[in-house]
Amino acid sequence: MLDLLPHLVNGLVLGLLFALIALGFMLIVGLMEQINLAHGSLFALGAYMGLQFIGPNPPLPADLTTYWLQLPLGWRYALALVIAPCLVGVVGIAVEVCMRRTYGKDPLYGLLLTFGAAMVIEEGIRLIWGTRDYVLEVPRAVSGAFFFQDLIWSTYRFYAAGTAAAVIGLVWLMIEKTSYGAIIKAGAHDSEMVRALGINLSRLRLSVFVFGTILAAFAGIILAPIWGIRPHMGVDAVVPAFLVIVLGGVGSFWGAVAASILVGLAIGLSAAYASEWSLLSMYLLLVAVVTFRARGLFGKKSVLEA
Amino acid sequence: MALIEAEGVHVRFRDRVVLEQIDLSVPEGELHGIMGPNGAGKTTFFNVITGRVKPTRGRIRLDGEDIFGLSTHAIANKGVARSFQIMTLFDDFTARENVMVALPAFRARGFEVRRAVAGDAGLAEEADAVLASVGLGEKVAATARQLPYGDRRALEIAVALAQRPRVLCLDEPTSGLGGDGAKRLVELIGRLRGKLTIVVIEHDMEFLFSLADRISVIHWGQVVARGTPRELQQNEWVKRSNLGRFA
Amino acid sequence: MTAASSTSPDAARLVTPTMLVLWLALATVPLWIAQAGLYPYLGVEILIWSIYALAFNLVLGTAGLPSFGHGAYFGVGAYAFGLCQFNLSPNLWVSLAAATIAALVAGILVALFISHRRGIYYAFMTIAFAQIFWTIAIKAYDLTGGEDGLLRIERPPADFGIISFDLRGNVALFYFVLAVFVLAVVGLWRLVHSPYGRVLAAIRQSEMRASHLGYPVWLYKASVFAISAALCGLAGALFAMAQHSAFPDVMNLTQSGYVVMMVLVGGGLVNFWGPVIGVAVFLLTRDVIGAFTNSWMLWFGLLFVLVVLFRPEGIAGLVKSSFERHSLRGQGLSALRLIFRSG
Repeated sequence: MLDLLPHLVNGLVLGLLFALIALGFMLIVGLMEQINLAHGSLFALGAYMGLQFIGPNPPLPADLTTYWLQLPLGWRYALALVIAPCLVGVVGIAVEVCMRRTYGKDPLYGLLLTFGAAMVIEEGIRLIWGTRDYVLEVPRAVSGAFFFQDLIWSTYRFYAAGTAAAVIGLVWLMIEKTSYGAIIKAGAHDSEMVRALGINLSRLRLSVFVFGTILAAFAGIILAPIWGIRPHMGVDAVVPAFLVIVLGGVGSFWGAVAASILVGLAIGLSAAYASEWSLLSMYLLLVAVVTFRARGLFGKKSVLEA
Repeated sequence: MALIEAEGVHVRFRDRVVLEQIDLSVPEGELHGIMGPNGAGKTTFFNVITGRVKPTRGRIRLDGEDIFGLSTHAIANKGVARSFQIMTLFDDFTARENVMVALPAFRARGFEVRRAVAGDAGLAEEADAVLASVGLGEKVAATARQLPYGDRRALEIAVALAQRPRVLCLDEPTSGLGGDGAKRLVELIGRLRGKLTIVVIEHDMEFLFSLADRISVIHWGQVVARGTPRELQQNEWVKRSNLGRFA
Repeated sequence: MTAASSTSPDAARLVTPTMLVLWLALATVPLWIAQAGLYPYLGVEILIWSIYALAFNLVLGTAGLPSFGHGAYFGVGAYAFGLCQFNLSPNLWVSLAAATIAALVAGILVALFISHRRGIYYAFMTIAFAQIFWTIAIKAYDLTGGEDGLLRIERPPADFGIISFDLRGNVALFYFVLAVFVLAVVGLWRLVHSPYGRVLAAIRQSEMRASHLGYPVWLYKASVFAISAALCGLAGALFAMAQHSAFPDVMNLTQSGYVVMMVLVGGGLVNFWGPVIGVAVFLLTRDVIGAFTNSWMLWFGLLFVLVVLFRPEGIAGLVKSSFERHSLRGQGLSALRLIFRSG
């Protein structure tokens, strides 16, 4: 049984990371009742942006660049973690503006539109960075391995899981404890009411979409060292996000987190038996869940069922 | 002999009871009205009869045969046709195409791929005849989407009739219709009386009371009153509530 | 709606005037394509992708089902063709049949899981299955060659007993593929205008209504998916033959996405020929615009977004409505809406 321990831990780590990936997706589905298929490519764009900042050619004005390149890796990494997602957020603004025409119509428009946006973004990534695999450099402090209980553990994964947990907690706090969060919850529940209360619904939607985009991009940077950077990496983000929502139910924050952990564990454990194929288990899980139970474990009737 | 029989039907969605206890039987050839306030469960009852919703408890029988748990299409193939409260027509199809696809002769050929539909004059004639019977004889080639509301309601009924059903379930057929349209519908349904068994959900009292042989009143998921229109008019409860408010 | 209006005489025909004109025009292509600055192989590609896109549109345009992972069946056909050629029999007909059957089986398997759903769940399921097939293609190195793909696939001669055609030249292959295209078009046109096609169109517009009329909706959705998959597999086999190889690429979601975009831009939601138009526009953009800039795909993607936003009836719809008085925009819009309704 102890042989399974590293896989279990891996699964837990993966679960937390999936929760991070699904976070932005969830907020957007909750408030705007739109499935954002561009979530995956925004996730990818975040990874590439982070790569660009940390690498030798950061997208900064010339005089800043020299200063920037002199900073130690740790500083560049930490700053990239903050700046890159914000830049991707700008792309998110563009997507949301295009989506506006589709509000009030059936979710299908949003789906096709975000699908188109996803393809455009992915193609943009290919044009700018090419199709080769990249590796994201991480600071020494969080890379490498350590020993515990006669096993080697990857430092980065723990750091990533910890960051994910922290961000999840922060987002939860924001939703529960701030007035902005309260407005989001109200808006998810009843957008007409929110508008009647005098709140600018379109600005709210924009801010939530951008926030969701930033979270996706952030997740991309965090996941990059584990999954590698390829133009197509977005698919492996949007499918678990959807799976998590289907399993955990739309509108249930902790339901989604619980579902993420479950999915992560499922994949972690399957890696114990057939590591090459472990990501496959995510797709198989989606098929199984949608085949047998679409309502979710915790959620109320969701927008997916219209 | 009852054509449709519901016994102890109880429907619960998660934690909400939609139908408490429905006991209802409709003999063959009767025109049976169902009335009651909104949310009482009338449409859910139709959903149960047509197999769209499976009751948590209870029995449903069609001509003595237990149809509990059968799928919608299986029940439809046994001769149950239904119109919908919120209209569901095939909007891209013409009126003729809408009706044609409901004809048993067409249904039998549902998996045929070798011949084209357009060349089949027999089916087109049959469809046109049904359309004529509801007063849409002039509009067979009009696209359903473009028809005015009253015609769309008539088309709904035409499609149900085209199925050549034994039981016709009409869900608020006069909904949204003005005086003329409602009158047209009353005439139409009046002509069908006796030829088929008809169950009608309606809010329009005049409609129900002038046409129905018997009426069941459903409220709070149960049948709270039942009888001929005259009997119901005497019924204290019906009188007291707003339901029987006219002579 | 991709069937011609039932009052149009074309709907009853096996072969329509449009088809004849198109085939004749296509038959002349090898004669002038070099002069146009292009090359015969492009013609081959356009035809193969057209078969693929028309088969795909059976599911999307006719039945209204959003399949975002259709590349899987194209890919299965491609691999099956190669594997059959290497391991079973080098005969052209056997390999083509094997590819079609393999794709049919894959289609049936997937259809069993997805056909009781529609809308967003359906879409994601097709994505999940596409990823499953793609992963198998990448990982099962011994079978598929993994990322390296299956190479050195030959073009066996088209042997009819009394006469045999060498397909190794691109012009010869073009005419062979054209023959398959002709058969595919005739078959699909008839299918779409048959009672079966009519029922599919009804299901697309309202599943609920169709089931209340007595149709076993699940069976229709499953069968059309399987048929489509089989035909996509045939197209994939032709592709493998044309390219002399089969790579996991064709199964990936980006490629599956291309065919969705082609069909929509071309107007497949409202017209039978939409997919062919979309394929031609896509491949011509790739070659003509692609000669000037590397970002042609980006432009096509943006075009797709614009079409979704403003003109969902696509090119075919626009052309058709310029001949008729009313715009087909309503039809295009309602077609999109119906595809993603979850009811």
